[in-house]
Amino acid sequence: MIFDSYEAYRAANFTPKVCILGSGPAGMTIARKLGAAGIPVVVMEAGPREFSDDSQDFYRGSTVGDFYFDLDITRLRFMGGSSNHWAGWCRVLDKQDFEPKAWVPDTGWPIARTDIEPYLPEVRDILDLPALRPDMPISDDIRWVQLIKSPAVRFAEKFGDELDKATNIAVVLNTCATELAGDGRRVTGARLWSHGQDAGSFSADYFIVCTGGLENSRLLLWSNQRSNGGVVPNATALGRYWMEHPTFEGGNAILADYNAFEVDAVNEAFFSPTLAAMERLQIMNFGIRLIETPYPGVKSLIADLACTAPSMAEWMSYQLSQRLRCAAQLYVAWEQAPLASNQIELSKTDVDHAGVPRIELHWKKSELEHRTLLEGLRLFGATLIEKNLGRVRIADWISNGQDYPTNDETAGHHHMGGTRMGTDISKSVVDANCKVHGMDNLYVGGSSVFCTSGQCNPTTTITALACRLGDHLSKVVTA
Amino acid sequence: MSFIIKKMSRRALVQALIALPALSLFRKLPDADAAGPKPDPNEIVEVGGWILKRSDLA
Ligand SMILES: Cc1cc2nc3c(=O)[nH]c(=O)nc-3n(C[C@H](O)[C@H](O)[C@H](O)COP(=O)(O)OP(=O)(O)OC[C@H]3O[C@@H](n4cnc5c(N)ncnc54)[C@H](O)[C@@H]3O)c2cc1C
Repeated sequence: MIFDSYEAYRAANFTPKVCILGSGPAGMTIARKLGAAGIPVVVMEAGPREFSDDSQDFYRGSTVGDFYFDLDITRLRFMGGSSNHWAGWCRVLDKQDFEPKAWVPDTGWPIARTDIEPYLPEVRDILDLPALRPDMPISDDIRWVQLIKSPAVRFAEKFGDELDKATNIAVVLNTCATELAGDGRRVTGARLWSHGQDAGSFSADYFIVCTGGLENSRLLLWSNQRSNGGVVPNATALGRYWMEHPTFEGGNAILADYNAFEVDAVNEAFFSPTLAAMERLQIMNFGIRLIETPYPGVKSLIADLACTAPSMAEWMSYQLSQRLRCAAQLYVAWEQAPLASNQIELSKTDVDHAGVPRIELHWKKSELEHRTLLEGLRLFGATLIEKNLGRVRIADWISNGQDYPTNDETAGHHHMGGTRMGTDISKSVVDANCKVHGMDNLYVGGSSVFCTSGQCNPTTTITALACRLGDHLSKVVTA
Repeated sequence: MSFIIKKMSRRALVQALIALPALSLFRKLPDADAAGPKPDPNEIVEVGGWILKRSDLA
């Protein structure tokens, strides 16, 4: 059932056991899992069916530190959430992303990749993915990795009819939770806002916050402030350890044989470091994306190379005259070190229409990350030499230690951390089952529970975690 | 310098320029033993942002 207002939903007299806040990939996946298990569930979705400026305005906020996107641009507030404009790149976090890195503090998850692997067949169905392929080492330091360019499933489009027909799932549009109330053990209710006005309080046995990787922290910070710590009793880490995937053009490569690498449907190939290389150089995970360079770019690359390695430049000109593909741009996205100082705070001056303080995002890239970027390109360059596959040129701003450019990709729109998973209550917000520490009936879905970000896009892992949480809750609720 | 050039005939000037590349022949070359081990042609070097093999260099 899908209702366009809270009023219409109330008139239907539906009695849910579980209330999910948010209908993005996380919320919708959990709702479908619970619904399939015969558990009545309501999904409160802040936005309407289609994009609206009014709804989007609730997402405005500010950033402090490094240049970042406007917070109302980097996500979408309507049914299906940011799946309405995601690009569809898919990959699950690496095994080593879940394990602690001895050289980086606050890394490691309380679960292993094997804990989400049983859900990958379901994830493939949900995201329309082909078979997942293992990594292929191309040297001791670099592995080819599969990053799937999927059809970018729009969740509302794909699952809208199914949800509309479901008798034990109610999706309530234009209805957001402005705060949760709690007594330090349980959430006792949610304050709702629907169609521009306060809609009163709502209660259910269980609440799952799936409002996105920025909004989860905002809602919980505000709720906790209003209920004097009654919603997140151990809140030291709440809003902290926020992470993105910084993404920049890191240089170019000339390639002896473009066909030496397996490229995907859009002619791109992806590479990451081996664990041994990360350990040896004490760097984070990264992904190098190889994209064929447009023709004018190749010419200036050859001219540049001619100054230092004329015979190689000559060879490259020959390749070009044969109209062979021989050059590529290298984009690098990397894993950020989890830092408590990268955090979501509530603005002290700015509130949305419902009176909830807007986000003030504090975000800075660290020195370790600059080193990861530089060493990553060096590793890739050395591998191309070792395997006689080509040569790499590192962009000047990186070699010269200059500031990050502000006209580049910047980041992936991947909002991770803020309610991270863990066993240490001073450094995490939820446990291995995504349940808020100390609370009996409050769970969190989405990438805000990520402890580390790995190098790859998050939605495949989000969906796998959502399937796992759906299964877990089905057992808890029916016990 | 410009004084010397003015005094030189045009022919002598051209001859001097032609001879320039050969000047290095007269420089004292380090003797082979003292130069230490020859650089490894496979050594990885970074020049102008390029990651190259030493043998790639001109
Ligand atoms: C331009 C762009 C490209 C991207 N490309 C990729 C990609 O290629 N691969 C990839 O893996 N990821 C990509 N992402 C990220 C991906 O979109 C997110 O990881 C994913 O959508 C997160 O799902 P979610 O359900 O956790 O949150 P969201 O999708 O943000 O959904 C949250 C939902 O909660 C609702 N909501 C918010 N506040 C409240 C409230 N208080 N009460 C009730 N409901 C609320 C929102 O309206 C929204 O529907 C991209 C993102 C962007 C912006």
